[in-house]
Amino acid sequence: MITDGSGSGVGRRRLLAFIGATALVVSACGGSTASQSASAAVASATPATPASQAAVSPSAAPSDAGYTGPEATITYSIWGDPQEIKNQQAIVDAFHATTPKITVKVTVSDWEPYWDKLQTSIAGGDAPDVFAMDGPLFPDYQTRDVLLDLKPYIDRDGYDLGQLADQAVTDFTTPDGQFGLPRDLNVVALYYNKKMFDAAGIPYPDDTWDWAKLTEVAKKLTLKGADGKTKQWGFYTESTDMENYWSELVWQNGGDIISADHKTSLVASDQAAGGIQFLQDLIWKDKVMPDAAITDALGDAFEQGQAALESNGSWLVATHLAAGIDFGIAPLPKGPAGQATSINPTGAVIYKGTKNPDAAWAFVKYLASPAAQTKLMELKASLPANKAVLTGPFATSFDGAKVLADAIAYAHIKPSFKGFNDWTTALQTELDANVFTEPKKTAKQALTDILPKLDEILAAQ
Amino acid sequence: MNPRRRPAARRGGGPLAGEGRWAAAFLAPTLLGLAVLSAGPILATLAISLTKWDLLTAPKLIGLDNYAALLTDDRFLKALRNTFFYTVVSVPLGLTIALGLAIALNAKVRGIAFIRTAYFLPVVTSTIAIALVWQWIYSADSGLLNQVLGAVGVPSQKWLSDPTLAMPSIIAMSIWQGLGVNVIIFLAGLQAIPSDLLDAASVDGAGSWARLRNVTLPLLTPSIFFTGVLSLIGSFQVFDQIFVLAKPRPTEATITVVYFIYENGFKFFKMGYASAASWILFLIVAVFSAIYFRSQNRWVHYQ
Repeated sequence: MITDGSGSGVGRRRLLAFIGATALVVSACGGSTASQSASAAVASATPATPASQAAVSPSAAPSDAGYTGPEATITYSIWGDPQEIKNQQAIVDAFHATTPKITVKVTVSDWEPYWDKLQTSIAGGDAPDVFAMDGPLFPDYQTRDVLLDLKPYIDRDGYDLGQLADQAVTDFTTPDGQFGLPRDLNVVALYYNKKMFDAAGIPYPDDTWDWAKLTEVAKKLTLKGADGKTKQWGFYTESTDMENYWSELVWQNGGDIISADHKTSLVASDQAAGGIQFLQDLIWKDKVMPDAAITDALGDAFEQGQAALESNGSWLVATHLAAGIDFGIAPLPKGPAGQATSINPTGAVIYKGTKNPDAAWAFVKYLASPAAQTKLMELKASLPANKAVLTGPFATSFDGAKVLADAIAYAHIKPSFKGFNDWTTALQTELDANVFTEPKKTAKQALTDILPKLDEILAAQ
Repeated sequence: MNPRRRPAARRGGGPLAGEGRWAAAFLAPTLLGLAVLSAGPILATLAISLTKWDLLTAPKLIGLDNYAALLTDDRFLKALRNTFFYTVVSVPLGLTIALGLAIALNAKVRGIAFIRTAYFLPVVTSTIAIALVWQWIYSADSGLLNQVLGAVGVPSQKWLSDPTLAMPSIIAMSIWQGLGVNVIIFLAGLQAIPSDLLDAASVDGAGSWARLRNVTLPLLTPSIFFTGVLSLIGSFQVFDQIFVLAKPRPTEATITVVYFIYENGFKFFKMGYASAASWILFLIVAVFSAIYFRSQNRWVHYQ
């Protein structure tokens, strides 16, 4: 600590100033994120509540038809924008109509604060009863024993997991049990702007497209203005997350991201690097795609009507429709090793310390039910996870929906492992700085450079 | 015992007598708040920094391992370097600009109140809103700055993604944002300078520069000292500007210590590691503040 040695007469004013400044140091440091929740969290570092024990051996046996427990109010937290809370509120209202004894309170946060709040509320023993879980981050929570195992409830009710998309279910399965049900899922496909294709007299993309065809057409659709600046880009995607395109390119080139045991990073192989190299080339060699500096400011060039093609997720359908883009959806172009895309489910999970596990389970079950999934489909928010809806009405619910539903057959699950954020931040920081934002290194070189750090992170988990 | 030292004789002497009692009463809420809301958590952080703790399961005591690991963590060292750079540039530059502005704004001209208000506006605006505007100013594609520079033939720059330009760009925004507070404090300091001192200097033949250098500035040193402390501590803790401007995530050129703490504590499940980093930051801030306080004998003049 700071000490003011002088005890002299001048000292009084100085002392006051000193106290003020110390308070600043102290309060300012107190405000740093790490320490804020710390004291509260220490007290309950090991949440073990009676409810969670009761949950392991469900006593009452309500029928599959409905919830027979006492009246209950449960909380449900999701990430998303104001539109998302409207979507989920509509589903929650429908649930309340069928099960009046359970009231569900929905809270929504932006992506980043969602996880901050979730962690601190779990640490404080006051987590929401049900919350949304991103597939890749699931292991970080499940391995820390904060999620309720749904297996006993599934067995008790004879609930059929087979009614849900298989990859989406297994993303929340571990050797210890089933720790969530998929609420919705997302796949990545190729969006195309029909007007731009029509204007250039180029046929729309289809399932025969490969990388070479993509580059060829994207070049034709990249148009420069009189000032030499690009006014229409042939292609657009986000390079800042693997899901939007580069993990798909890795798979399409016969590479992979991480070993099955999650101990070894595979991104530096020739095949994996080749996939990422293709994306770097689209930006810097072929110049058919805006680089990150432009993207940061412009946002989604396809949504702005400034790009002819976009590789991105099914979550953008509603956004592109709202933007008034006349678009179609095609499968991603095939790579040297064939067709591949990415699938990523959002799960609904139950907090292990919930006081109302039965009510929470009834709600989670409802979220995955055909009734709720049909509502989800109508909102065009995501792909339904329930097969009855996915392979039924969904395929004809909008132009291109069938392409998305069919993509599940050749989709790889988005990598999901403990330490995901730590690992992807290290990897993506390297790629952003040296491969995508500036072509300082080839993909192979950058990936080789960062590999030891990546494996070190995996070893520390 | 000396018989003259009766309790009555001590009236007004002890720290809790007379005025002192009132002072203690007024200080109590603040001190209590500090003890409960700041000192407690800070000590808890010290304890946590000695553990491997993911926030969700029981912490494991690992001694000083976190501190040792931090000193070899490339990302942390870069964060430290960037934070120092930010502080060393933004504090002196911010204070100098604010001082110049305050002197200019101390003039008695029409509409001065409006101009003063304009300079204070960024202070009461949220960083998010400010950052959105600056994102547009800095935009590499069609940003205001590039358009203005383009008009005079300067090529477009990637203000926020070029590693050498990113941090200076963020500093420029921060200085602009924080200007209002410093200007207000300097203005108050300027207006507290007795006009007879300045008049006397004029009578003695001092020109405006000599009055500024020999009368105004020395009498303003307490204000400069105070704003200096605020800026110094604030700079070491820079976070929100980075959080909103460095998209999608800070690079090696823009990560700062507090962002590093946030990232490790809340994204990487390394609360012990984050706590150790915040203690290193705390010690750095404390040492620099101490040096700064020691220095005031040499340049701060209290009237």
